[in-house]
Amino acid sequence: MRTLLIPAAALVLYVTAASAWAAPGTVLRNEKLYAQPSVSAKVAGNVAKGASVNILAKQGGWLRVSSGKTTGWIRLLSVRAGAGGLGGAGLGDVVGAATTRSDPSRVVAVAGLRGLNDEDLKQAKFNADELARLEGLGVSATQARNYAGQSGLAAVNVPALPAPKPAQPASSWESN
Amino acid sequence: MKIKLMVMAMSLVAFSGAAAGLDLGKLLEERINKELNKDKPTQQAPAQTSSPAPASTQNAAASPPSEKQKVDARQLGFALFGDYSPEEETRIGRQISGNLLGAVPLVRDDKLQNYVNLVGNWVAQQSGRKGVTWRFGVLDTEDINAFASPGGYIFVTKGLYRRLNNEAELAGVLGHEIAHVSQKHHLKVLKQSSLIGALGQAASSKAKDSDQVVQNLIGNGAEIMARGLDKNAEFEADRIGIVYAARAGYTPWGLPEVLQDLAGLPAKDNRTSLLYKTHPHPADRLVALGEAVDGRLDTVRGKELANRFYRIK
Repeated sequence: MRTLLIPAAALVLYVTAASAWAAPGTVLRNEKLYAQPSVSAKVAGNVAKGASVNILAKQGGWLRVSSGKTTGWIRLLSVRAGAGGLGGAGLGDVVGAATTRSDPSRVVAVAGLRGLNDEDLKQAKFNADELARLEGLGVSATQARNYAGQSGLAAVNVPALPAPKPAQPASSWESN
Repeated sequence: MKIKLMVMAMSLVAFSGAAAGLDLGKLLEERINKELNKDKPTQQAPAQTSSPAPASTQNAAASPPSEKQKVDARQLGFALFGDYSPEEETRIGRQISGNLLGAVPLVRDDKLQNYVNLVGNWVAQQSGRKGVTWRFGVLDTEDINAFASPGGYIFVTKGLYRRLNNEAELAGVLGHEIAHVSQKHHLKVLKQSSLIGALGQAASSKAKDSDQVVQNLIGNGAEIMARGLDKNAEFEADRIGIVYAARAGYTPWGLPEVLQDLAGLPAKDNRTSLLYKTHPHPADRLVALGEAVDGRLDTVRGKELANRFYRIK
């Protein structure tokens, strides 16, 4: 609870320090815009699923966006980068989403770069030398812990996130 | 709703062979066709009516000895109640990883590889998974993807690594892959395929030509990596992965920010075609994560560590 009250000055500094980019985004679900990056802050407005917003800044799990004349904070996970509305990205037709929605202006720039494909993987022959190299690169738990500690990383107790509620009882990965 | 039905279909597929179109369904279906066609062509006719396996798949995997191809009680028991031992899991993972490395080698940058191992191992320690020796590697390809293989072998491509901005984003990506291992997602796919016959014994230590049997279990080369997992397994790995990253002291928003970035890439980019074939669209992953997270991580603070992030020259 105490973390909700961030001194205004510190907040301003933080936001300014965060990259000041402005990028188009699309709202993924009906959401509120808050005056501050907190659900206890005043609601500045509402945005509907599919609405286009301009992403102005980010802070932690929040994005500062403008939608029309309204500016406010929205949860990071409620927006995706990129314009063009939801396109086919939705919610069911996953394959269609991945193949039909595109930004033609950017295709040319990347067309020359080749990715991995099925054939590469099917034809792959076991490479013992590379595997040995990989296994030689492993580090010990102690080395990793020390390296984490060097930058002040320490283990935090964070509870697991719940699985989505099933619409009906069905088998899942856990129960198989 | 649709997802739930797919999950149900998936659990039934080993018996019905009727879930064409699912990645997992395809895997099982090909195995069922391959194995059951030999022994019980008439009884299993429905399985043959669905899309047949590509010819290339048939070639190598059809070569194992035809002697012990029948479903016997022991194998059925393994498939229903058994589990791979840690040694078996490692052997399977080694074979898949060695094959993947045959398709694309490691980046020749020891500092990079060491850095990724230090970060990855620390994140993996938050998984609670015991008995796994974790190894992390950056693959020398501009493709944008990451892979996990049983036994703790984790890969991220140079193309994806280049897009990362800080250590928290790397931790999030690795956390997702670590979750595939801790939840044994690939093993569950393989285990279901073992229902169909002798393949169930492929990883048993009694087998003579061990690597060949493991190879027979996983299919050609590294094609298991091209098939992908059920999308619910991917959503689950997202949920678990950001929690692993947060438990390691990083901000939980690393993986979401990577997904944000990927969602903004053009769909026809060659570098993401395999990623999109094997994973739900990043925008859909953000939606699913958003529903799972809601306000639950509001009070979690963590580090980004942009300064320490190793940048590829």
